[in-house]
Amino acid sequence: MDDIDAMFSDLLGEMDLLTQSLGQETVPPASPPSTNKEVNFSIGFTDLNESLNELEDTDLDALMADLVADLNATEEKLAAEIQGLKVPSPPPSDLPPPPTDLSTHPASSYASPTSPASSTGSSVSTPASSATSPIPPPQSSKPTKEEIEAQMKADKIKLALEKLKEAKVKKLVVKFLLNDGSAKTLMVDERQTVREVLDNLFEKTHCDCNVDWSLCETNHELQLERTFEDHENLVEPLLAWTRDSENKILFQERREKNEVFKNPQNFYLWKKDKKALKDIKDKDKELLVQENFCGTSIIVPDLEAVLHLKEDGKKSWKQRLFQLRASGIYYVPKGKTKSSRDLVCFVQFDNLNVYYGKDFKSKYKAPTDFCFVLKHPQIQKESQYIKYLCCDDARTMNLWVTGIRIAKYGVSLYENFKTSEKKAAVSSVWTNRSTPSSSNPSTPSPTIKAKSPNQANGHAPTPQPGPISADFGNIPPPPPPMAEILPPPPPDPAFPPPPSLPSKGSPKPSLPQRKLPTNFPPPPPSMDNLPPPPPPPPIDDAPPDFLPPPPPTSGFGSLPPPPPPMSSLPLPPPPASFGRMDQSLPPPPPDPEFLPPPPPEPVFTGGGGGPPPPPPPPPPPAAGGGGGFPRPALRPVGSVKKMPPAPPKRTTPSLQGGGGDGDLMSELMLAMNKKRGAH
Amino acid sequence: MAAWDLAISVEDLGPDAPPVTLSVASDLHVGGVILKLVEKTQIKRDWSDHALWWEQKQQWLLRTSWTLEKYGIHADARLLFMPQHKPVRLCLPSGITLRLLACFSNPVFQTVMGICRMLNIRRPEELSLLRPIEHKKKKKAKDLDEEIYDLTEVPLSSASRPCLYNGMPAHFADSSQMEAIYKMLSVTQPPPAPEVIAKQYRPASVVDKAHIHGRWLDSSRCLMQQGIQENDQIWLRFKFFAFYDIEPKYDVVRLTQLYEQARWAILLEDIDCTEEEMMLFGALQYHISKVSQSEPQMMSSSAAMDDLESALQSLEVKMEGESSTASEMLETMTAPDLNDYLKIFRPKRLTLKGYKQYWFKFQDTSISYFKSKEESIGEPIQKINLKGCEVAPDVNMAAQKFLIRLLIPAPEGMNEVYLRCENEQQYAQWMAACRLGSKGKTLADSSFQSEIQSIRSFLAMQKSSSSSHGNVPASDESINTHSLVSPRYHKKYKPKQLTPRILDAYQNVAQLSLTDAVMRFLQIWQALPDFGLSYVVVRFKGSRKDEVLGIAPNRLIRIDLGVGDVVKTWRYNNMKQWNVNWDIRQVAIEFEGNVNIAFSCVTADCKIVHEFIGGYIFMSTRSREKSDTLNEELFHKLTGGHEAL
Repeated sequence: MDDIDAMFSDLLGEMDLLTQSLGQETVPPASPPSTNKEVNFSIGFTDLNESLNELEDTDLDALMADLVADLNATEEKLAAEIQGLKVPSPPPSDLPPPPTDLSTHPASSYASPTSPASSTGSSVSTPASSATSPIPPPQSSKPTKEEIEAQMKADKIKLALEKLKEAKVKKLVVKFLLNDGSAKTLMVDERQTVREVLDNLFEKTHCDCNVDWSLCETNHELQLERTFEDHENLVEPLLAWTRDSENKILFQERREKNEVFKNPQNFYLWKKDKKALKDIKDKDKELLVQENFCGTSIIVPDLEAVLHLKEDGKKSWKQRLFQLRASGIYYVPKGKTKSSRDLVCFVQFDNLNVYYGKDFKSKYKAPTDFCFVLKHPQIQKESQYIKYLCCDDARTMNLWVTGIRIAKYGVSLYENFKTSEKKAAVSSVWTNRSTPSSSNPSTPSPTIKAKSPNQANGHAPTPQPGPISADFGNIPPPPPPMAEILPPPPPDPAFPPPPSLPSKGSPKPSLPQRKLPTNFPPPPPSMDNLPPPPPPPPIDDAPPDFLPPPPPTSGFGSLPPPPPPMSSLPLPPPPASFGRMDQSLPPPPPDPEFLPPPPPEPVFTGGGGGPPPPPPPPPPPAAGGGGGFPRPALRPVGSVKKMPPAPPKRTTPSLQGGGGDGDLMSELMLAMNKKRGAH
Repeated sequence: MAAWDLAISVEDLGPDAPPVTLSVASDLHVGGVILKLVEKTQIKRDWSDHALWWEQKQQWLLRTSWTLEKYGIHADARLLFMPQHKPVRLCLPSGITLRLLACFSNPVFQTVMGICRMLNIRRPEELSLLRPIEHKKKKKAKDLDEEIYDLTEVPLSSASRPCLYNGMPAHFADSSQMEAIYKMLSVTQPPPAPEVIAKQYRPASVVDKAHIHGRWLDSSRCLMQQGIQENDQIWLRFKFFAFYDIEPKYDVVRLTQLYEQARWAILLEDIDCTEEEMMLFGALQYHISKVSQSEPQMMSSSAAMDDLESALQSLEVKMEGESSTASEMLETMTAPDLNDYLKIFRPKRLTLKGYKQYWFKFQDTSISYFKSKEESIGEPIQKINLKGCEVAPDVNMAAQKFLIRLLIPAPEGMNEVYLRCENEQQYAQWMAACRLGSKGKTLADSSFQSEIQSIRSFLAMQKSSSSSHGNVPASDESINTHSLVSPRYHKKYKPKQLTPRILDAYQNVAQLSLTDAVMRFLQIWQALPDFGLSYVVVRFKGSRKDEVLGIAPNRLIRIDLGVGDVVKTWRYNNMKQWNVNWDIRQVAIEFEGNVNIAFSCVTADCKIVHEFIGGYIFMSTRSREKSDTLNEELFHKLTGGHEAL
């Protein structure tokens, strides 16, 4: 253990040096950053070291591998940055020093892989942010002065924001218990959703990726268990655990998670006799799901039952007639009718989660073992604020727990289900596929996506030990899942290279560029066409410029074809995003609810002019597709080639200065909000 | 063929004028009759909308090529020559009355389509007309006072296909009066005075509600055939509660009127809800009325955005604006904080000290407190993270009590903490901060200022409602909370008791845009267990007592009148067929699994029930149909009954 700790601090130290050498990171290298014990109100795994201590050696090995990979990425990034001109230096100094109370350290060291990732990853809530990361290549060669200035400014701001964001991101090392008693350990950052973590676990465990796989939280002391919903963030609930907690996270198949979508009749027609429910036709099931989850309003099953209630702090269980409504759980007071107006509100769901109780018969002398509990997620020990309810049978309990989940989470549940269904379908296809595409960043398989961006480029040039690369993929998960939600951002293929560059100790500035060619091996000329977008024509036309890159990439048959995913994915991006703009008045800051439109999309739109994702056209046509002008423009760029592509990562925003400006700015806004919200 | 005399009354000559007598032969077609008639009256005008109405048979003679013989018209026929479109007083869901020309000769279904076209309401099949409730005391005088918006000048032709101009149909853009009418249609009405709510008819029981549904007009017959007269009042209401394809951008009027109908259904307890739900509805109404006053232009501006070009332009402008402020924002990014002396009290602690004053600091999502301002640089006495906590107000303006009750989650349970503020200003700020903090937001959040504003305006409400009792709400600031809830709660709570409860619910909706708030209102309404039920009192075959049939968008339910319980549910998708025996007025339905039910209708004609069932089945076919055109034929097939066949 000590050894490992030592290794860790070594590593951290190294990362520190690297960051400091850049002179940007004012972040104190606070190693155990846990100064923030918010008095008595938040405890737990707030600091990384602590959670590390909980680990066993094997876990640590894996983790180390991850981190090493990470470090490499960091270096690359640094290399890219150094080469990427003076851009970054000033902003941080303007910034308020990142709060010390957070686990800044690992975060900052993380920067490279996550920074793209972070923006993308966070996009679950802030879609636009994905804009930032993936737009590397088209660094325009000769922008006008103002543009350069504007870009610089934008860059700085963005960079600073990223830094800030990164600095604040909490990360936990989490151990996931498997059914067979073994465990997997992953680093999870606070922006990751359960869905993303599940995807990573799929990668690690090679399980079938069916829709029942879930993460469950168990509370040992209270004998509770809860399945996380896929859209929830994982870190937040874990932070509520107490220091001495024996709580666990399980990675398991849980049938009840999506049962309501598989057999809606059991929930919505629960009053009917069992035989009728069993014989129900698929068509009718579908209709039920439609009726209740696809209308303007989500319909909560109309539940009514006599349940036993253990009242605040008392030991006895009392029967009451309860009703579930969209607005909460109610009971019928004694001597009153069941009319809505007489109902008394028992709980509303805003601040409560629903848990299954285990073995309450013996623990609390409950009438049966079919109990569920409603409590604030932060409550970890026995308290009068916990509501214990006991049902007559398992069916009733499942009805109620599911009904409460529907009332609380609404349409998110259905979206989660659809996402996991897609994942399951794709991954089953996936497993049958041959390897070649596995390295493909933009493969249709969402699961793969989890690691692909890095991996794809990662392994091509640098023979890394297999496991490492795999782990690597796991670390910065945010971006991938993202990808699965969004159509894979076209630039993706181009962008990933830097992080994966594995040159350890020696940051070679030129690497990224070289990298590119290797990645896009085939026709060098086409290469020229690819990344460098023509210098910005009129702003309006900018989008088209972006167009060329993607098709060509796809055109290079050997390359990972981005287009397929696009077509296979649900969103025909461009039209959608534009349409949305018209509709919702305030266009720029895309509503968090609108997940899909990633900034890159408009790019397509503009360029394609027509239908969305350009299927793999042969390179030449593709280039032409951008419009007449790109061509001439490209030429000059080609010659400068070495220069511009290099800074891609950091300078990306500049690219946007031309056309995708909106993305940057809205991303900025989001980032700001996020930042504020974060703490 | 022998000629005979046919007497025709011409409405335009006045009620007392004698009928015009024409000499006709049986082989003369209707068109010829009209021609002769017009010549004889010697009046020059546009007669194109006129047609002959056969009084005894209650029938229009619309087929001008048919001969009199074919129609079976003889000398004793009493014919009336009159326009097919006549003014009616149309009462909208918002309670406002419009005077407009409605078609008296086409089936009501088409009449409604025409009205909706004129008013710019999409999906007219979801609406229908019904007879108003007769006022027990004929309050004619009061009716006359009512402001009536006149739309009779709208040329009939222009309503055929409304081309949008500035977001509204062209015929509304003609004059400022017309624009005002459109605004009235598309902007929600301010909350009604409590007395107005109290005065309205409220159904007291399911049977009362069933009687209302007996008033629906028959969609397959025309107004004239159903005894509606010129200038009569009729109600336009959403009848089928299956709202398809709501698109806020195009459905401004539709959404507004739907909201109004829902709002009144809640206020008049036409649909039941719990007290908590009522408070939320109240909060949403308050918010909607506030926002619609401050952004009345949302309608037309959204239409302007139709143009992609302009959308892009505005995007650009916006971005420029943002980029300039971005750096400033960055500089100010150290989250703002609040600092002040407040008093704190922890009821659960065993100390009896009561409130103690400390120097408080609100930063990020946490509150810290220190002995004094001077010591605020060091470690706080305590730091409380508010994320996930519950915040409740405890305010009494008269007693100058401004208390914030916090319930803060901790592993061991919830900790109660009270913060006492000195004055309104301080309270509004700290309360707003606590609210944001509980949602995990910092003071830098853009909603901070508006949160303060809304807290202050609620305080103002409390002030005014306690001082000036029973006044009609004048301004936004002094809205009477009794205007937002049903009369039941007028009795139960005083306005100042209601205010904090509504405010409590309001904090969750205060950030919604107008459209979102309206949509939220509709969603909560639609999520109520009794939503979409239309009741009819029926007598099931073989049963000796009256029961209630509830007709919902996806099912029929049988309700026991005595207990009020749902006895049985049948879903339409299990329905094999339904028939109406028009002679004995009985509806018979067969479901899968050999389930047969039959009933006769007590409070409504069986045609109404038939139309409801067929109508809902029609509504459910819409989604499958790609085309946007309304399949009128199918509707009549499903709802028409024997007349249609």
